[in-house]
Amino acid sequence: MDNAKTVLPKEDNDIVIELRDITKVFPGIIANDHINLQLCRGEIHALLGENGAGKSTLMSVLFGLYQPEEGEILKNGKVVKINDPNDANDLGIGMVHQHFKLVEVFTVLENIILGVETTKNGFLQMDDARKKVMELSENYGLNIDPDALVENITVGMQQRTEILKMLYHDNEILIFDEPTAVLTPQEIDELMAIMKGLAAEGKSILFISHKLNEIMEVADRCSVLRKGKYIGTVDIKNSSKEELSNMMVGRDVKFRVDKDEAKPKETILKISDMCVHDHIHNKDSVHNVSLEVRAGEIVCIAGIDGNGQSEFVYGLTGLEPIKSGKVELLVGDQMEDITHKSIRYRNTHGISHIPEDRHKHGLVLDYTLEQNIVLQRYFEPRFHNNGFINFGEVRSYSEGLIEQFDVRSGQGPITITRSMSGGNQQKAIIAREIDREHRLLIAVQPTRGLDVGAIEFIHKEIFRKRDEGAAVLLVSLELEEVMNLSDRILVMYEGEIVGELDPKKTNVQELGLYMAGAKRQGKETH
Amino acid sequence: MKEFLKKDGTRSLIASILCILGGIFVGFVVLLLLAIFTKDIPIGQAFQGLGIVLSGPFSSGRNAMFQLGNMLFNTTPLIFTGLSVAIAFKTGLFNIGAPGQYLMGAMAALIVSLSIPSSVVPPAIIWILALLAGALAGALWGAIPGMFKAFLNLNEVIVCIMSNWIAANVVSWVFADSKFINYAETKVNFIVKTETNNIATPTLGLDSLFSGGSVKSYVDISIFIAIFVAIVMYIIMNKTTFGYELQACGFNKNASKYAGMNEKRNIILSMAIAGALAASGAALWALNGHQDFKWETYLTLPADGFNGISAALLASNNPIGVIFSALFLKFINVGGSNLAANTAFNEYVSQLIIAMIVYFSGFARYIISVMKIKGVEKVR
Repeated sequence: MDNAKTVLPKEDNDIVIELRDITKVFPGIIANDHINLQLCRGEIHALLGENGAGKSTLMSVLFGLYQPEEGEILKNGKVVKINDPNDANDLGIGMVHQHFKLVEVFTVLENIILGVETTKNGFLQMDDARKKVMELSENYGLNIDPDALVENITVGMQQRTEILKMLYHDNEILIFDEPTAVLTPQEIDELMAIMKGLAAEGKSILFISHKLNEIMEVADRCSVLRKGKYIGTVDIKNSSKEELSNMMVGRDVKFRVDKDEAKPKETILKISDMCVHDHIHNKDSVHNVSLEVRAGEIVCIAGIDGNGQSEFVYGLTGLEPIKSGKVELLVGDQMEDITHKSIRYRNTHGISHIPEDRHKHGLVLDYTLEQNIVLQRYFEPRFHNNGFINFGEVRSYSEGLIEQFDVRSGQGPITITRSMSGGNQQKAIIAREIDREHRLLIAVQPTRGLDVGAIEFIHKEIFRKRDEGAAVLLVSLELEEVMNLSDRILVMYEGEIVGELDPKKTNVQELGLYMAGAKRQGKETH
Repeated sequence: MKEFLKKDGTRSLIASILCILGGIFVGFVVLLLLAIFTKDIPIGQAFQGLGIVLSGPFSSGRNAMFQLGNMLFNTTPLIFTGLSVAIAFKTGLFNIGAPGQYLMGAMAALIVSLSIPSSVVPPAIIWILALLAGALAGALWGAIPGMFKAFLNLNEVIVCIMSNWIAANVVSWVFADSKFINYAETKVNFIVKTETNNIATPTLGLDSLFSGGSVKSYVDISIFIAIFVAIVMYIIMNKTTFGYELQACGFNKNASKYAGMNEKRNIILSMAIAGALAASGAALWALNGHQDFKWETYLTLPADGFNGISAALLASNNPIGVIFSALFLKFINVGGSNLAANTAFNEYVSQLIIAMIVYFSGFARYIISVMKIKGVEKVR
């Protein structure tokens, strides 16, 4: 703990929750190693750490989902035993999980009162509940529609529903597990305001995150975990991003990776007039998109989520059929039309694809890490003899990648992927895709859910691939990433490319205007 | 020892044994309660009854070898239907269509083995052709729900259940008024035995070994075929790229598609393999030579088709485990029949006890998950 320092709350009676020496062990890994944490009344206390540092585990202990092997939890100075989330709820502890726990086919109101319904003769009394919910909603600026079905509302409103649920249950201590991971930038701003409002009303908030900007903006204090160990607690007012990231990673981190000038060479990918049809809404989700990506450059498709980027990538990689247009890829030394080729053909002829949704597309969660690492390569001669899997080769290959990309897991190559932390799952996918031979790397939100150390590493890898002559097509929602990484920026708005920008000559504001559809090249704005 | 206990295989085995013990215990309680509350049955018979059930064929004294032989013969179809369900489970599909596939297999095998005159074609060739025809019929019948699942995303359970009854009616319809009906022995509810066409699975003297005096049992080499197939299925699922692909598609269709696998083809293949397995069991049963196949199948579906689910569950879907779970289920079954024969308990009670054990076999997965949690707690 070279640079650790701990700031204590001013008065002892301020402390609402105290965790003392919490230790939680999983097979092969000590997730929490004697962690101490003190949460004061009315503060926003950030919990910072790399992927797999043990933040979520610690909060699960506090919420009663896990039982610690050692240590104790104190509320208002008294030792309490939290056996399950019901106990936590009784103690006034509420939690918004990373993946929401809402009943999709219920309305917002029904979800909020779920578990504490007021009934009379077996019939629901919704009117009182509705009144209380609406009051809470107004007091805290949580803008919700009580009668909308959860499956039809935005992720942001779902999150506000979760927050209201905690408030309706009269929770005092609110745990937010990486709440911003799923939100758009505007929704993040709203959430920050809501959190500040809650703290001002005397609620105590534990805020798990690895996004330093957010912590700097909203938190009062921040406790840092690294590899399961408690590093220290700092006062945000007297701290900096650099100090926090240093505490988190254990070394200095560059937020912006230095890169050389791009030296684009031959065209690797050429897309002409691609249209992808959305059958549900009966419109084109991708409309007449044409672009080229050349060897040795990073082209970034920027845009607000839901403007056709996902569909565009599906069309390009063959996951969904396209309506019209042409996709050409440099195979050998000739451009080849791959519009109607199979996914396997594309995979084996130079396309690597880091998918947007790691659980849906990227991984077979019930397979082991090593089985996932050979997901697109198991049929290569190296990995089998006449159809029998060459287990030794699979093992040594995956161990190599795990080492090289620092993929952390409980049992190494034989860890079931489902049990790994999200960030390490992402690292496994990135390791697999970057290591496969490719000329075109399609990276969709490659650093989603990763901490700064891992982001730095992945950005470096992407630059390395570019400098080795790969064409990189990056799809990202993070403006900072777009600005740092790309050599050319294409902005996508409502399924069309509305502008091509040079990151050296533009700024975030201009980019934002294009992304919001307020500005476009080639056509008059209306 | 600790490492041994943590292995998945060990856990499955322990879970299966616990399930069996639980089933036996509850079955015993039923016997005990019946003995207490029924005037005619002394309480001592409950203990005696338990002993009879647990001794399987060995409770029948001098008939033991004969019963054991028949038990081995009857286990063959159950191993096959158990494998059918287990393989489908491993690839993410619930094959409740085993009864229908079983019927189609029996039908195809019987038609081929009875239609080709053994005076023209050597019986061994006919036997092989009939087995292949049975497997093929089952594969096609299984592929149909697979196609519905792959192309239309219809739940295979629903399609399988319907395909069962369609198969049952197809079989009755094909055989009704056909030349295959056993008029000679005036057993008009049954199909002619294949031995009338000199078709019978070789026994290698097993039937004489397992006999009650001069009466031979039905046992033939099909039990070895079943064990061999189980081992082959184990190897395919766990050691080959083909099995890797099938299971990947079962676990996550989208990721398999992303990885360039043909996920639709694999779903259909999984169901076809499952169907071929169930049907092979039926074909081997029919080709024994001495069996009467009741052709009015539209009234009931073959029990072995459904019992395959129990065999698979009890074995935690491990193909090797299915051999043992099927043997055990048949063992208990014989014990149950002997219970009815030798005590005051009637055959319904013995069926009830078997049902209890089968019912408890469904808890195998639950017990494994509990063990995993406990295992986690113990590692410090």
